[in-house]
Amino acid sequence: MTTGPILAVRELSKTFTMHSVGGRRVVSLERVGLDVAPGEHVALAGSSGAGKSSLLRCICRTYLPDSGTVVLDTAAGTGLPPAPVELTALGDRAMARLRGREIGYVSQFLQARPRTGPRAHVREAALRRGMPAVEADERAVAALRGLGIAEELFDIDCAVLSGGERQRINLAAGIVSPPRLLLLDEPVSALDPANRERALALIEELTARDVAVLAVYHSMSIIRRLADRVVVMEHGRVVDDASAESVLSADHSALKEAYA
Amino acid sequence: MTTTATALAHAEVSALEASRPTVLDEQAIREIRRAVLSGVCVPGFQVPFGSREVPVARGWGSGGLQATLSLAAEADTVKVIDQGDEEGVNAVNLRRLIQGSTGCATSADTREATIVQSRHRIPEDRLRRDQVLVLQVPQSEPLRGVEKSVLECNRMHAEADYSRIWVSMYEDLVTGGVVNQGAGYPVMVNGRYLMAPSPIPRWDIPRLDGAEHLTILSHGRDKKIYAVPPHTPVEPVTFDDVPYEVEHTAGSFCGLCGSADTFLVQTSAGGFLCSDVEWCARVRAGDVDAAEHRRIAPLHLLPDPARRVRALDESFLSDPASLHAEDRAQTPGALAAPGEEWALAVSGLTKVYPARRGSSAVTAARDVTFDVAPGEALGVIGESGSGKSTVMKCIIGDEAGAEGEVLIGGVESGTRNILGLSPSERRRLRISTLSVVYQDPSAGLDLGISAGGNIADRLTAAGVRSYREIRRTAARLLDRVEVPLARIDDVVGQFSGGMRQRVQIAKALATDPQVLLLDEPTTGLDASVAAGVLDLLRELIAERSIAVVVVSHDFSVIDALTDRAVVMHRGEVIEAGLTDQLFADPHRPYTQRLVAAARG
Repeated sequence: MTTGPILAVRELSKTFTMHSVGGRRVVSLERVGLDVAPGEHVALAGSSGAGKSSLLRCICRTYLPDSGTVVLDTAAGTGLPPAPVELTALGDRAMARLRGREIGYVSQFLQARPRTGPRAHVREAALRRGMPAVEADERAVAALRGLGIAEELFDIDCAVLSGGERQRINLAAGIVSPPRLLLLDEPVSALDPANRERALALIEELTARDVAVLAVYHSMSIIRRLADRVVVMEHGRVVDDASAESVLSADHSALKEAYA
Repeated sequence: MTTTATALAHAEVSALEASRPTVLDEQAIREIRRAVLSGVCVPGFQVPFGSREVPVARGWGSGGLQATLSLAAEADTVKVIDQGDEEGVNAVNLRRLIQGSTGCATSADTREATIVQSRHRIPEDRLRRDQVLVLQVPQSEPLRGVEKSVLECNRMHAEADYSRIWVSMYEDLVTGGVVNQGAGYPVMVNGRYLMAPSPIPRWDIPRLDGAEHLTILSHGRDKKIYAVPPHTPVEPVTFDDVPYEVEHTAGSFCGLCGSADTFLVQTSAGGFLCSDVEWCARVRAGDVDAAEHRRIAPLHLLPDPARRVRALDESFLSDPASLHAEDRAQTPGALAAPGEEWALAVSGLTKVYPARRGSSAVTAARDVTFDVAPGEALGVIGESGSGKSTVMKCIIGDEAGAEGEVLIGGVESGTRNILGLSPSERRRLRISTLSVVYQDPSAGLDLGISAGGNIADRLTAAGVRSYREIRRTAARLLDRVEVPLARIDDVVGQFSGGMRQRVQIAKALATDPQVLLLDEPTTGLDASVAAGVLDLLRELIAERSIAVVVVSHDFSVIDALTDRAVVMHRGEVIEAGLTDQLFADPHRPYTQRLVAAARG
């Protein structure tokens, strides 16, 4: 069985036009290309403003790319005939549906609905992925426990919880009944060592469950521990794309600055 | 061939006629007869006629008098009764007037009469096919109590849209436990027209149902004549599960004749007497068929407190959880058009307000196109004057003269442009298929009736005729929108703004619509109240597979409720996309300004 990538990004470009400041153009991505295979963990590395988060957002269409293609093949690795979907030109309705089920995006900051508690937030994520209501409740509780969220916080408005708690809730929503492609944007940046360890262990498990992960980390040690492959970005372009060992051993000016 | 003898006979008759006072001329008689014939042809329908001035005051039987004068001839025997009595001043005067001007005979004996003119009663005798009953009517419009506009009443009759009568009965039942209407109880005639049967008591109404005789009802002041022809079904309006009751005081009987199966009136001394004086006298004289009378008396409709609504088990009001099991069983969603994803499709919608003196033409909406799938919520965002409300009004039908196409998957499989619906078709659409939640709750609610009554309004319009079902559905919906059930029977006008909005939402969902339009649903509410309503709407949208359009100038509302949105500016859709994408990556200068403003 030949396993194609679940995600294939080609020539992806994105420029923002700021009409409020005289139409200034800010180039965010320039002809970016990369692949992620099922069960593969790819890390995006680079300094702030290199375009890592923008790339994740362009893939899940929170940003609308200007040109290039993002092909998602949810049949990849399943043995089923290929079912590629080009996301940049996909209709909004179909995209909204895919997002719930096939693509998960864990942003750096929790974006829970106002006045929603952790349990409800994670449960909703599970429901969007088509899980039956009863099971969704159980899984939500399990995911929150797994990330060390105290039971007494389960029904408290997310907005009043600490930064670390919110980040873990966000991650819990991302990995509960995980989609086939998960985009993680600095998922553990605000966590203390013990919680970070718990979170990383859970993310590590995803690989064994054949989930494709494309993640942004700001720690070399995490990249070393989790990533199969590292894509290095600089000024909106991909400057290197190789196995974790070779990238980390290479003498990257971009990486030196960012991860000194 | 006319012989001399017949010519002479005619001349004599003419001379006799000429000696009698003329109240109605030939023209008037013909017109009233025509109106009566029309009334007979369309049972229960109020036929307008040119009510003449007659020598009795309006309100003293001028309508009934005109009907009798136009029908009676010398060969007739006329009986006139007032409240069951033929010796009242009014009855005597009318009788003498009729006799004097038509030359007919008169009688007190119902059995001898060919025409019985009556106020407030139908005689106890069963009328025969060769008898005509003329009822004097003080109020011909049965809808007057619930609708003041004559035009609107006519509209309701034309469309057989009588739900408001049921709503007023619902309100009676929840406030007093019984229907308040006594005399003139509204009836459905031949299953088509709602009719006010003049103020005869409820006791007499069963006598109209499938009767052998013709009944003519005439209202002089309103200039209306209507009729119940023989063998026409006449049904008192009542809920399927609330028994119709006649007036009766347990244990009462006539102090003179001893009858207990007649309509009785109370005397000042506290006893009872037969209302029909002539019947009472004949009972005493032994000149009646008592067995036959007993058979037709409405004794099966006597009040029974055990069957009244107050005796119903309404424990669900204190334990609403039991109702929600039913809720889960019934959650029909929107229908997509065959072969399409959408349940609502708007395309090329354009609305131009034409130029008038002092103002130029305004294009409020230009070529607006979007569609919504079942289970999906679409946002329409824009500042005041951007045209979003115009689009909403065009879809609802509050704004006529729009061009373009609006299709609903569940309406003729999405092939019928609903912009072209007639007002009555649109009303039906609004009852069962398309619901609206307005910014101002008073636009969607009747603030003068109870919360449950408002939901009853929608349910009865959709044809629900079971009081129990209405109660349970209203309780379930109100509990779902978190209105305390202790307030189900409170008048909505006493509710707070947030509570009213919740009632409006419950009403909008009462008939499980396919398409729900939310027009600034939280604008005008306090921040904390608005947040609660927003949370509720989000849950309701998630649990029902309906197609939802949310119109708002507030990005946070659109963000909370929708996955997709369109941005409107100067009547046009300038940008469309996933809601979070429009917020994170707006392209058009206007959208960027809107987002920047929303970030506050």
